[in-house]
Amino acid sequence: MPREIALGDALVPGLLVLFVLSLVLLWLLDWVAGRFGLYRLVWHPSLFRLALFVCVFGSFALLLF
Amino acid sequence: MSVSVATEAVPTTRGLVVDSLKEEAGVWLFVFKTLLAYYLTGWLAMRLSLPQPSTAMLTTIIVASRQSGMVLAKSFYRCIGTLAGAVAAFLIVGLFPQQRELFLVALSLWVGLCAGGATLYRNFKSYAFVLAGYTAAIIAIPVINDPPAVFDSAVARISEVMLGLLVSGVVSDTVFPSRMRDVLRRTARAQFAHFIGFVQGSTGGNIARDTMEKAHLRFVRDTVTLEDLRSSVIFEDAEARARSGHMLLFNQRFMAASTSFQSLHHLINRLQRSANDAVANALIELYAPIGTALDAPIEAGAAARVLLPRLLTARQQMAALAPTLRNRLGPDAQVRDFDTGAALLSRFVDELHAYVDSAASLQAPRLLAPSVERVRFTRGNDFMGAGLATLRTTLTMLALGAFWIASAWPMGASAMLVATIFAGLFATRPNPTQAVKAMVFGYALGMSAGFICVFFVLTRMDGYTLFVAGSAPFLIAGLVAMMWPSLAGHGLGYAMGFAYILSVKNAMVFDPVNFMNDSIAQIVGLTATAIAFVVVPPAIGSHWLRRRQLERLRRQVGLAAEAPLPGLRHRFESVNHDLFSQIIEQTEPGSDDSRALLAWALAVHETGRALIELRNDMVDGQLPADVSHPIDLGIAALARFYEGPDAGGYLLARDAVTAAIATASEHAIARPLLNHLHLIRLGLLDGDSVLAQYMPAAPIVGEIAHAS
Repeated sequence: MPREIALGDALVPGLLVLFVLSLVLLWLLDWVAGRFGLYRLVWHPSLFRLALFVCVFGSFALLLF
Repeated sequence: MSVSVATEAVPTTRGLVVDSLKEEAGVWLFVFKTLLAYYLTGWLAMRLSLPQPSTAMLTTIIVASRQSGMVLAKSFYRCIGTLAGAVAAFLIVGLFPQQRELFLVALSLWVGLCAGGATLYRNFKSYAFVLAGYTAAIIAIPVINDPPAVFDSAVARISEVMLGLLVSGVVSDTVFPSRMRDVLRRTARAQFAHFIGFVQGSTGGNIARDTMEKAHLRFVRDTVTLEDLRSSVIFEDAEARARSGHMLLFNQRFMAASTSFQSLHHLINRLQRSANDAVANALIELYAPIGTALDAPIEAGAAARVLLPRLLTARQQMAALAPTLRNRLGPDAQVRDFDTGAALLSRFVDELHAYVDSAASLQAPRLLAPSVERVRFTRGNDFMGAGLATLRTTLTMLALGAFWIASAWPMGASAMLVATIFAGLFATRPNPTQAVKAMVFGYALGMSAGFICVFFVLTRMDGYTLFVAGSAPFLIAGLVAMMWPSLAGHGLGYAMGFAYILSVKNAMVFDPVNFMNDSIAQIVGLTATAIAFVVVPPAIGSHWLRRRQLERLRRQVGLAAEAPLPGLRHRFESVNHDLFSQIIEQTEPGSDDSRALLAWALAVHETGRALIELRNDMVDGQLPADVSHPIDLGIAALARFYEGPDAGGYLLARDAVTAAIATASEHAIARPLLNHLHLIRLGLLDGDSVLAQYMPAAPIVGEIAHAS
């Protein structure tokens, strides 16, 4: 995957695209977790969510570098 | 002796210290979180070598001024606002790269529209508008002499603002978060317990009018608070989001049940006043099974489910009881009153059952099914107030822009930027004139502190840690003041003035001349905003706006009479509640204004609801034209009367309703409608309600006796 992507002739960093992608993925996971009450099994839901986001974004970023 | 005194004194002092520490803990938690977000943003911005770390840092202060939980909700709207502002800046610069006049006019219009939008949406959506105006200004104004640089400027500003938003969102969500979900749950439980307790407590039947008014006030507050909380909690908590539909339904059913309950008690009160005690007592007797059914422990935590079978039993008891009570009554008129009451009562029991049912499904640990019914909470927004805010802000910006062009003032950009920020921030304040004064004072103070900090402290500091150590003490003073209600305006002004004038950069520049010029420009911009509030006074809180809103509230009857039926009940109830709570916020409790308002709200509420039920039944009944025509006329006359109440309109409405009743009682097919019509007529004839001032001087008691 290229490190910079041309969107409408404007060069956009690939990381930004991946950031948005991982936000969407996190939103999906969040929806599932909320629908089935999975956050009740976690001590600090928002910290868990942040950590999950870091994992998702980090593993996406590994595709680039 | 001294020993005994000492031992007595120690625990009290200690208790005092602990208590005041507990109180202060919230304040210091806010200060700590804001500082953390502020400096973390600054550090990141410098590490990422963004051109203006100070913009990112200032964003955290703008955002911190209004956060108390619910941060993710706000972040969502803020991001949208930032992007919209960037697009607007692009458009404005792209359209008028060479014409500075048109450029300034377009920018002023955009900023004005954003301020108007912030006024229109009083909840966290207003943030989006504040930031849309702010971002457009900080992107477009600096490139006014060099339009091709707009793209770089936009990318840099978006990155900075977004970084500020992101960091403050993460900090407040993860560092000692205050969970709005618990508040929501507590509020819903309290609403449920209060309503059930109130219904159960009023089994005796006789509720004084002012108790009723207070109860209505509380019902409305509960409803609107719940809706406000719900709409923000869904961004914060995935589980609450999954239950959002149930929550909406719960609230709608609450409104429906409380309205029917009030109508019922108004009816009983009226009957008692017009010496119709036999009917009133029969209704109270019929009502008794509900009281016993609800007589179960409903403290927080106990399931609402236990009430469901009890309510069903109560319903069967009431159905069995009704014929015996009906036979006991003598003349025809009494039977008709009783029928009206009984119909209202059975509607109320159905709605109460539905309400308890949705409470039970909310309390269930697992989500059983997706929401059965789709409902919306419609807001009653006022566009005139927003228009006024737009006008004021646009005028301010135009005046500043004209002055900038005419005087070729090198610092005009600064003045306009500051005016943009504050126009948005002030637009939503209930008493902006006071707030602006406090803010100007605080801002000047903050800039003086900034001067001391920059030229006497920071010149001796080296590195980011020392920068934090050198500037934090100055900032803390402002942040603490922000948390004190009496000093909140001063504190916000101080913190913003300080953060703005500090203008931290990777390679710090110390330039006293520029500093002074910039300070003067910012004070000019802020003062211009303040003057604008005097020239174009704010609509919020004024007598004019209150009258307008009262008119809108009355026009709700017209809505109930004329709007298309599907979903109308929810729409009517939610707009009513929202409007009413807006007006209540702006009136002093206990004043004449507030009493008149309450009286009108009760009348509108009861009549409108009866009209909707009547129209629903009319559609179901499929009446022939000669039957439905007089009823339609009656409905229309009522709507006209509420739109512009006067004595003539009152007589017209009363006669039209009487005619409708006469027609309906002649035709067997229209019998079910009679109850609603009768209820409307009794409401019209109520000598105790707000309509009394339009009644002719004829003896009222006789009228009612005649009517019933």
